[in-house]
This record gives sequence, C-alpha cells and structure tokens, in this order.
Amino acid sequence: MKRIETDVIIIGGGATGCGTLRDLALRGIKAVLIEKNDIASGTTGRNHGLLHSGARYAVNDLESAMECIAENRILKKIARHCIEDTGGLFVTLPEDDPGYHQKLVEHCRYARIDCEEISIGKALRIEPNLNPAALSALRVPDGTIDPFRLVSSNVLDAQERGARIFTHTFVTAVIQEGSRVTGVRCHDTGTREDFEVYGQVVINASGVWGQRICALAGVELKMFPSKGAMVIIDYRINNVVVNRCRVPSDGDIIVPGDTVSLIGTTSKKIDYSQIEELSIDDSEIEVLLADGEKLIPNISRTRVLRAYSGVRPLIAVSGDVDGREISRGIVLIDHAARDGVEGFITIAGGKLMTYRLMAQMTTDLACKKLDSSRKCSTHREPLPGSELKSMPGKHIKFFSGIPQSVVGSTLYRHGERVRQILSLSKRNYALICECEMVCEGEVEYAIRHLNVKDLVDLRRRTRIGMGPCQGELCSYRAAGLFARLNVATSAESNGMLVDFLEERWKGMKPILWGDGLREAEFTHWIYQGLFGLGDVNLPGEEESL
Amino acid sequence: MNYDCLIVGGGFSGLTCGIRCQGAGLSTAIISAGMSALHFSSGSIDLVGYDHERKIVYRPFEYLEKFTGAAPDHPYAHCGVETVRESLFFLKDVLAAEEMEIHNNGDENHFHVTGMGTLKPTFFSQRSVFNSAISQAFARKAKIAVLNFEGYRDFYPELAITNLLNNSLFRDVEISTGKLVFPDYGDPQKNPFEYRSIDVARIFDTIQYLDEIAEQIKREAGDAEFVAMPAFIGIQNYKKHHQILQMLTGKLIYEIPALPPSILGMRLDDALKSRFAELGGVLIAGDMVKGGDFRGGLLDHVHTQNYGTARLRAKAFVLSTGSFFSGGLVSDARGIREPIFDLRVSATSPRSTWHSPQFLDRKGHPFLEFGVETNGRLNPLDAGGNPVENIFCTGALLPHYNPIREGSGGGVAVATGFHAANQIIKACG
Repeated sequence: MKRIETDVIIIGGGATGCGTLRDLALRGIKAVLIEKNDIASGTTGRNHGLLHSGARYAVNDLESAMECIAENRILKKIARHCIEDTGGLFVTLPEDDPGYHQKLVEHCRYARIDCEEISIGKALRIEPNLNPAALSALRVPDGTIDPFRLVSSNVLDAQERGARIFTHTFVTAVIQEGSRVTGVRCHDTGTREDFEVYGQVVINASGVWGQRICALAGVELKMFPSKGAMVIIDYRINNVVVNRCRVPSDGDIIVPGDTVSLIGTTSKKIDYSQIEELSIDDSEIEVLLADGEKLIPNISRTRVLRAYSGVRPLIAVSGDVDGREISRGIVLIDHAARDGVEGFITIAGGKLMTYRLMAQMTTDLACKKLDSSRKCSTHREPLPGSELKSMPGKHIKFFSGIPQSVVGSTLYRHGERVRQILSLSKRNYALICECEMVCEGEVEYAIRHLNVKDLVDLRRRTRIGMGPCQGELCSYRAAGLFARLNVATSAESNGMLVDFLEERWKGMKPILWGDGLREAEFTHWIYQGLFGLGDVNLPGEEESL
Repeated sequence: MNYDCLIVGGGFSGLTCGIRCQGAGLSTAIISAGMSALHFSSGSIDLVGYDHERKIVYRPFEYLEKFTGAAPDHPYAHCGVETVRESLFFLKDVLAAEEMEIHNNGDENHFHVTGMGTLKPTFFSQRSVFNSAISQAFARKAKIAVLNFEGYRDFYPELAITNLLNNSLFRDVEISTGKLVFPDYGDPQKNPFEYRSIDVARIFDTIQYLDEIAEQIKREAGDAEFVAMPAFIGIQNYKKHHQILQMLTGKLIYEIPALPPSILGMRLDDALKSRFAELGGVLIAGDMVKGGDFRGGLLDHVHTQNYGTARLRAKAFVLSTGSFFSGGLVSDARGIREPIFDLRVSATSPRSTWHSPQFLDRKGHPFLEFGVETNGRLNPLDAGGNPVENIFCTGALLPHYNPIREGSGGGVAVATGFHAANQIIKACG
C-alpha cells in the first residue's frame, strides 16, 4: 500500500480544515489534507454566504459577536476577491417587538460593532426594494463572502507552499500505536486505491462528520446536527444584506451574492443518521418565501432558482431543543488531555466567519505538539488573488480585445489571478457558460490548478451552471472539455454530466414551478429527449438501422 | 377580422393544422409568438419509439393499434390510428411540395444518432439523417469519420463516439475524428470559438466555400466512406449543398442533431411556413392571444397583445400553444393553469407529485403528462364540464402522454393538428 509521510494530517476540506492547511503551510509545516468529497462541499458551502458583522449574535452571544467583527475586519483585508463589502441593514417591521432595536444597538456597542441608526428614508435610498412599511433601521458592517472562493484560495496558497490535498478520498481508519494516533488509512474514490498517511498530529476538522472520525479513533464525540434551509432568488434583488431586527428565527435574512439573492434560514434539529441526505420540506420553502417577502416585497414576483440546506455542526450541550439557542462557539479538543489519546485534535463548532481563527487556534495547538514556535500570519497574508485592491480598469485595459464582461467576471471570481487565467487567444476567452460568463480559459485553469475532479467541483470553482439556466448548455460543453483536455475519459465525462444534472435537480425539485419548471422541461428535453443521456448505459439493440 | 379558422400557436401542430385547413379552402390565420419547439427539436419526426416499459418499438402502427385500446385518453386514441397514419403521410406530401425529402423505413421505425452517441427510434427523418444509402452503409459497417467545425462548442465527438462504440451495432465499426478549420469565414465580429449551429450553417449555405469545405472533408475523413457532422450543413441551401458536398467528396454525409438552435428543426419550420403562405394562409407573427369572449358556450372572438381591443373572430379556434416551455401551460407554487382561457387542466397535486426523484428518471416526469383536458374531438371543457365545441386543443398542450418517455412528441403534434383540422373542415363545409 502506498505510504505518505508528513507532519500534520487534516481530515476535512471545509473552511476550517483548508484554513488550517494554509496556516500550517505558512508556518513551514508539512501537511496533508484528506476530504471525502470536494472542498467546501459540506456545511462550508451550504450557508447563506454572509460576512457577519456580528450584529446577529450581539444580543444572545456576545463572544461570538466579538469574534465575528474581528474576523470581519481581517477578511476584508486578506480575502478581498471573496468578499463584497455591501454593508447591511437591520429593519424592524410593524409586527416585530420594537424593543429589540434598542437592545441590538446597546449590545453592538458592547461588542464594538459599528451600528448606526438611520431613517427609513435613508434605508430606502440604500435599499430601494426594502419594505417601505419598516418602522426603524440600523446600518451594520455586514457583507457577503463566497465560501467556495475562500476555501479554494486557502488551498491554492497552501499547495503553492508545498501542502498536499486529496479530495474525493475517504478516511477508512485512524491508525494508532498504543495510545498515540500516528496516521490515517484512506480510500480514493476516483482511482479506487487505498493508501496510508503518517504524521505526528492528526486534526479532525470534519465538522458534523467529526463524530464518525472520532469513533474511528476510539473517542466519543456527540454532534448535534441542525438543518438550515435556504432559497435562492434568480436576481440580485438587494444591494445590501437585509436582516430582520428581531430575536433570531426563520427567514430573517436576505443576502445578495454574485448574480442572485438568498433567503435564509430555517433551523431544525435532525437525527444524525439524516446528515447525508438532507431533504427540504414544502413548509420550509413557504416560511422562507413568506418571511422574505415581508422584508423585500417584490420577492413574490421573482423566480425562485433553487433551494438547498446545510447542517450546522454544533456539539451537543444539554437542554437545547431547536439548536438555535446553542452557542456557536469554537470547540477545540486536545484528545490527549480529554481522552488520553496523543496526537489527535478535534476542531468543531464555530462558523464560516471564524474559520481563520479556528485554524489559528488549531495550528497553535498542533505547533505545541510539534515543538514549533512559528507564529500565525494568516491575519495579514492576503490570499492568492487578493494581494491588491481590485482595479478592474487596469485589467480590462491589459486584456483589451477580450469582452469586458469576461474580464470582469473572471476578475471578480479569481482576483489578481486573472492574469494567469485569461489570454488573448480566441479559444481562451470563448464563453462556455453564458449565464455566469465563464470562459474556456477559466474552465481549463480550474481543472488544472484548483483540484477539480468533476463537473460539480468545477461549478464550485467557477459558478458554471449556477445561473438562471442551471447548466442547460454549459454542462455538456464543460463535460466535453474534460475529455478534450484529457483529464477524463469520454466515458467519465458522460458520467460526470449525469451526476451534475442530478445534483442540480436536487436543488430544483423543491421549487419546481413557474419559470423553474419551464427551464426543467427544456433541460430534460435536451438531455433525455435530444441526447438520450439516460439511455447511455442501455445494452445495445440488436437490430439494423 | 374574420376567419374560418384561427390557430393560436405557430409550432409544429399549429402549422400542420393550418396547412390542412387552408389547403381545404378555409380562410385560416395562425398567431405565433415567435420561435417554437421545432427550433429545439431533433428534426426527425418521432411517432412512438418506446413502449410503457421503455423498450424500443419497431413497428409503431402495430403497437399503437394495441396500445390505444388500453389508453383511451391518449391523444393517439382520440385521433384513431388510421388518422395518425394519414396525418403523417399528409405531412410528408406537404414537405415534398416544398422539395424537402422525408424518408421513412416503410411502416417501421429507424434510428438516428444523437449528439451523445445514443440511438433514437424515429419514424421520419430528413435525407441527410436517413435514406437507403445510409442504412446500407450502416449495415455493411462502413468506416465512419466524425468531423466537427473547429471551435464549435456544442458538439464533442469524443463523448458521442464512446457511447456509439458501446452499442453492439457499432462495436466493429471503425470511427475516426477530424476537424474543419475556417478561421476567415463567418462574421468577423464574432469569436469563431463561440459559433453556434446557426453561424456554421451560414458558412455551409455559402456556395463559394463548398470547394474548400469539400477538400477539408476529404483530407480529414481519409478513407472513411461515411462522414458524420453535427447538423449545421445549411438552412436555405441545405439540400443542394448537401448534394454538392457528397458529390465533391464522394462520401455519404450524415447529420447528427446537436444542441439548439436545431438546424434540422428550422428547415422543417421554414418549409411548413412557406407551404402555409403559398396556400394563402395568414401568419400573424410576434403576437400573443391575451383572452377572448364566449357566447352561448362557444368562443366568439379573441383579442391579442398587438391588436389591442380589436376582435379576431373565427368559426373555429385551435389552441396549439404548447406545454410549459412554450407557455401553453403555466404553474405557480399552488397549481397548473391554462393561461388564456383558464381551461380545465389535468394535473396531479400536491406539487411534490409533479416530478420524479431522479432527473433522468426512466419513468419520465409526471408534469410532462399534464395538459388541457379534452373530449375525443379535442374540445376542451368549460367550468361546468361541458365541451367548448369550437375550440380544438392540439400538440403539447394535451395531457395523458409523455412525449419524451414515449418518443411521440412530433407524431402527436402532427396527428392532433390534422385531426382537429378534419373536424373543422367538416364543420365549416
């Protein structure tokens, strides 16, 4: 069996795991990350992409609020191309408790979050689609963050500094010698090979799946999964993040992101056995749309693009029923101290906003175990692509001849790395996905440099198939490119295309009406009616043409 | 304005109905909102390709004789198998009058190759997709060269060939690939790597390029007897240019339907519109019917977006507005509706029953079988459940059939359009 030696092994390719990989790489420590699916495919990529100011937590959880605002300021510097500094509003509607407004103002003051009381007139100028019946409004430094870009940039930086990553690879066993964890056994689902990785420290950063990893190491850890559903609206109907100024509950936020807006979220305790196949109930959709409409009334006239859900990776504390009152605090466990198992760390809890802080805390503990005194620098080293303040004009001029929309979209997604993606070759900047303006050069770059193994991975790196048509034409084209670039066989490309369409379908099914249904009919016609994609594996027919 | 017959919807079904009515001497108008499903079609006309277990149907009429007995609500059952047959051969004659050659394999289905390299059973195909020379070449397992236009993004021969070779029919066939490169042709404002089928078709429509194209085909195809290309060999001059290219190269040239816009479908659309116009029919393009008024249980007139309050009257009205995709049916989170007259629809509820769990589900999706409920004459029902005897619903607007699972979309469009026309002609005559 193949054997890899390293210093630190990280299990889990979410924001925390990938952030830790980067932190280790910046400190010059060798590390290998194992992810069972794709990076950011779990909880990290299944939230509303809010760059929290911390205001949402200020009243109930001051510690989380203070962590959020600190990280908010750091991320705005190191992850510029993953962030939009839109600002946010907290608005009180007529049916809301008017007292919450003042409470929030006070608690934001404790947490040192800039929170400005503004008039409704001013709020409507900032956000013209806002419900004009709102009673009061607060302005907070919320923004938006793209989790896929954030995680991919962390991995890119780590890999360029020597770290290694294996995606679509399961950990099948935690290898122990006596009371010490010394490595992990893995199974690569692509190559179907098993291999072992040995290191001095194993970090369990697998979020809600951490319970399973702990069990493999013979340690007990009980997760408390809570499902959150969201719907995506097919237009960017708001400029700034709009929060409902009330005690946290369902459907209290609308976040703009790229070309769409998101209504979040519900919260529902689920059984641990349900974490792999999350379903979305019609009642959740109804609640989100009804509450979303109260904040921004024209939502009722806008197409719903998708619905999806994620699992909050909370560690169980007693007495909580619906998972919302629980502290979303960071839990760092040194299993040597807790369970007498040396060389094994679990990092859990927290949230996307605090991924960097969690990575720092974890890496500090790993360094202690490795006797390394290297200090963290992730709070000041910009991520690849975020080195400079974005200056679209400069790049558009540099790439004159390429449509500005292509340069702009590529720059938006990859920051300064646009220079390594685009070229003046006509093939390079030919569009593959017209909805999201993804060109062939970007697809090729993502396949070659961003750990893309299939079409679903490619979507997370480039937004291909995420627009209004949900991959109607571009998924076939991108599948063809995998074959043409010789990174997949034709049979594999065909398989990826089926997987991609089925994956898109999961998010379309719960909201299949109106234009979504029209689009689905058309896509079904193309792939089944015109292409017979569902018949690809049929045994051949023994008749003449 | 006053017509004998006013058809709402200028797709395959509406045009078939219009040609039949106008040809029988009725003054006929078609109101068309724009592109129809023909622009997204394979360009072959499927009658019925799969049975209820999704096994391939080889003898469609024989199959329908048995099947329609067991499925009395199916549109083919409303028409009757004899009318289905009559309608298809009527269509073949109509297209022949426009010098479009349509080929069938006697009473049997034949196959056409899809862009993914699967085989689809169908009944009628254009000459470049099916004819006796093609079926003989397939039978003797002639070597095939699959050629693509450099930069054309909507066809990847690699994907198709892998699947084709998996089919036992093609297991021993030698298939090579090659590409045609014409950087200087076409629209200089356009990136040639962003060409769609229509851009390439314009090049093939231009006679002075054919010598060069033929040279490249010969070079790239080598000793292959058979050349397959995505369907982009011209729209206006396809027939002549296809012949010229076959003559210049000495090879059989075959077209594979690719991603929309469908060149094969556009040729059909052009031919049908041209026929309708030649017969003296009136095509009102770019307009939409917004509603109408009923009198004594019959539709008296309709009004449209462009004509405002003007009333368009007719003795008979045909609704060929298509399914959800074309806007003939609309849906919201609560239900399905027919948007012009709010006719009674056949659909299931709740919403979670509209679709199957898998996107490429072998059973297909229930929403494809929703539509406006009619009697056997294709008359829809009013709020009281009584048939509106001067409205006829045809094509994809109809319920109780699944065009994709059955492979029956084209046949139902033609047969129901024809069946409606027959009754209108009788009523007006």
